[in-house]
Amino acid sequence: MTDRETLLQKLSALQFAAWELHLYMDTHPDDCDAKELNEKYICKSKELAAIYESKFGPLSPMTGSGEMWLKNPWPWDIKECAI
Amino acid sequence: MFQYEKKLQYPVNIKNPNPKYAQVIITQFGGPDGELAASLRYLSQRFSMPYPELKGLLTDIGTEELGHLEMIGAIVYQLTRNLSIEEIKKSGFDTYFVDHTTGIYPLAASGSPFTAAYLQSKGDVITDLHEDLAAEQKARTTYDNILRLVDDPDVREPIKFLREREIVHYQRFGEGLRLATDKLNEKNFYAFNPSFDVQCNKNCCRRDKQR
Repeated sequence: MTDRETLLQKLSALQFAAWELHLYMDTHPDDCDAKELNEKYICKSKELAAIYESKFGPLSPMTGSGEMWLKNPWPWDIKECAI
Repeated sequence: MFQYEKKLQYPVNIKNPNPKYAQVIITQFGGPDGELAASLRYLSQRFSMPYPELKGLLTDIGTEELGHLEMIGAIVYQLTRNLSIEEIKKSGFDTYFVDHTTGIYPLAASGSPFTAAYLQSKGDVITDLHEDLAAEQKARTTYDNILRLVDDPDVREPIKFLREREIVHYQRFGEGLRLATDKLNEKNFYAFNPSFDVQCNKNCCRRDKQR
C-alpha cells in the first residue's frame, strides 16, 4: 500500500467507528459511554483528516477547490495508476 | 443538504476485471433490493416520521446507503475495465454492453431497469419501519447470494462489509420500531397513525403528562 492508501485506511477506520456510534445513538440518545467514545473518534478523525488533506488534497468541497479537488485518483479509480 | 466526501466508506481495489461478476453485482446498484432503492426509500420516508429518533435514523441510514451505492458503482466499474470484445462476448456481458458499453446504469441482474416500484413510502411509521426491516434482510440475502457466486477476495471483502451493514441497519430499525411502539397505546398500536393524525399525537402527549 502507498502512504496515501495507508493514511486513508486509518482515517476510514476512525470515521467508521464514529459513524457506527452515531447510528447507535440515534436509538440510544442517552448512552453516556457511547457519547464519550463517539466524541473521541470524531476528534481523532478530524485530526487525521487534516493531516491527510495537507498531504493529499481536500476530501470535501469545504476544504478545497479547483486543481487539488479535481486531482486524481477519485474514489472509484483503481489504485495509483490514474493520470 | 448533502455534501460529498471524496472517499469510499470501505476501499475497493479489484486487480482482475471480471464482467460476469459485474453483471451479477450491478443488481445491488439498481435492482429490487439494491442500494439506490434503499437510499430513496429511507430518504423519502423520513419526512413523515413523527419522532426525532426516527427522523435521525432514516436520514443517517439513507445517507450511508448513498455511500454504498458509490461502493457498488466502484466495484462494477473496476470489474469492467480493459475488456476485450472477445471477453465481453464470452462472459455474456454483451447484453449489457450493447446498451451501456461499460457505463454504470441502475438495473437488476436480470436486466430490468431501476423503478421506484421497488420501494414504498406509506406515511405510517409502523408500516414504513416494517418495510425497512424487510428491505435490510432482502439486501442481506442478495449479498449472501453474491458471495456464493464470487470467489475473488478483492470483490468479496467489500461485499462482506456491505452485508454486515445490512445486519447493523436491521438492528437499528428494530430498535426504532420499539421506540415508536413504546410511544403508542400497547393495547392497540393501530388506533391511529402518528405520522398523520397530528391532533391525536398531541392528545396522547397530554395523556402521558397526566399519568
